[in-house]
Amino acid sequence: MTENETSVVMLGPRDRLIGELYIEGNLRVSGTLEGQIEATGDVDVTEAATVKATVAGREVNVSGQVNGAVTASKKLVIGRSGSIVGDVRVPRLIMQDGASLSGNVSMGPKVAAEMAQAAATAETAAPVEVAAVVVQSAADGETAQEKSKPKKR
Amino acid sequence: MDTQHAVADTAPIEASGDGVESRRDGANKITLAPGDSLEGKLTYNGHLNVQGRAEGEFRITGNFDVANGATVKALIEGANVTIKGDVEGVLTAREKLTLGKSGKWSGDVTVKRLQIDDGASFNGHVRMEGFEQSGG
Repeated sequence: MTENETSVVMLGPRDRLIGELYIEGNLRVSGTLEGQIEATGDVDVTEAATVKATVAGREVNVSGQVNGAVTASKKLVIGRSGSIVGDVRVPRLIMQDGASLSGNVSMGPKVAAEMAQAAATAETAAPVEVAAVVVQSAADGETAQEKSKPKKR
Repeated sequence: MDTQHAVADTAPIEASGDGVESRRDGANKITLAPGDSLEGKLTYNGHLNVQGRAEGEFRITGNFDVANGATVKALIEGANVTIKGDVEGVLTAREKLTLGKSGKWSGDVTVKRLQIDDGASFNGHVRMEGFEQSGG
């Protein structure tokens, strides 16, 4: 919400990513992904995708295969061709007939409140750091150029 | 099995007047109206529709429906299970579990198919038959 500039990352059917991905924006996966992914925006896992990773996003749509924990701060939709093996933590969950799921599901107002709180602390942390950078750059004159972004785990 | 026989004799299913859909498949059906409550163990050859309160152990060959506003705390076994009320326990659906938008489930489930509508609440472990856990 702090920036209007959002990126859209697309991984095609033949693309592969192994590692850790954090993006401020949306992610669309059709290929292979292993590791850990977090997006501030929406995450789309298409039918062709194979994901072996923990997935975190605002709105997560799964039509492919996901092996790993899934967290969505808004909602998770598991399409009829989608499958998830792993624990799911979401305030809202929609599961279409035909979808597969194996794991623990936590949802409801408690999870929603938790996520709202996490988002609130992340947002209050940001201006403080920005203020610190401004003060520093004013003092140093020109050298403080590096943007210190609030790190999310 | 005794209970099954007793209930089967006293279940006039054909009465389709009071909002209960008539079933032409000839299967037996128990309906617990909003004010009704059931506590105990039921093994039943037919369908069970709960609109009131039910607590215990229910093993039924047919479908298990929990209406909006109903409260169930039980070990449940049924073919198709539809939840639109508040349900807590352990559940096995031989065919499909449908959690409606007003449905609230808490507990572990073993199902063949699962559908969760937007607005529903689900807390617990899911195991799906025929869906093998690859890896982990």
